[in-house]
Amino acid sequence: METDLNSIYVFKTNITNIDPACEMRKTLDEHQEIEQWSIDHEDVDCVLRVVSNVLKPETIIGMINKFGHECQELN
Amino acid sequence: MRIRDIDKEKLVITTAIDQIVRDGFQGFSMNKLAKACSISVGTLYIYYKDKDDLIQKIGAIIALKFFTGTVKDFSPKMSFEDGLWKQWENRAAFTMKYPKEVAFFEIVKHSPHSEIILESIKEFADFRKIMTEFIDNGHRNKQLVPMTFEAFWSVAYGPLYTLLNLHTEGKSMGGKPFTLTKEIMKEAFSRTIKALKP
Repeated sequence: METDLNSIYVFKTNITNIDPACEMRKTLDEHQEIEQWSIDHEDVDCVLRVVSNVLKPETIIGMINKFGHECQELN
Repeated sequence: MRIRDIDKEKLVITTAIDQIVRDGFQGFSMNKLAKACSISVGTLYIYYKDKDDLIQKIGAIIALKFFTGTVKDFSPKMSFEDGLWKQWENRAAFTMKYPKEVAFFEIVKHSPHSEIILESIKEFADFRKIMTEFIDNGHRNKQLVPMTFEAFWSVAYGPLYTLLNLHTEGKSMGGKPFTLTKEIMKEAFSRTIKALKP
């Protein structure tokens, strides 16, 4: 099934690389309300893409900030 | 509320093909693409996870179009000669109609993306089955000489793709202007089929 466009959130971050064992990856992977997430490390904006039907962009930004990274929604 | 904008999606795909054919994968970026399409990078990432995802999704669209075009009015039950000629006609029509897409797929073919793309298209298995059945029928009906698949493929399609490359470039040996016509194609086909018949 195609992803509902309204459940996709895109953020500019400063996450240049991500350790496979790091806490942030674990949190995002295991989050009940995140269906899918990815970071494009090749892009200058290190774009984080999150698919969730429930979470609000502010909540996602808060989560990423907690791990010490900058995160700003791209519209 | 986000609504799918089909025209924008089409613009993104054609622009991406243009840029990749011109600059290769290395010179291509999501930022450049967004700028060229006058859309925000954010919008682009709504549709595609990253550059690889975009390349693979566009590759899959082209591959599917190619498979559909190749089997149009073709049946594996056709005599080997009629069927191969139909393949030549369909493949030539596709290359002439979509030269940029073909150039894009040539780049993809030499990258690790190609396997991922083919695995993502369920129609690919049908396509392979049809083509295998066609060759098997050719052997069974004694219309095709048995040979190694790669040897067969190079003889059956090599002349066609050589002519199509010359056509796409618009010139042949020594820079002489060249346009592929049905007559020239038939000329090459008549010799090709002789080589493949027992």
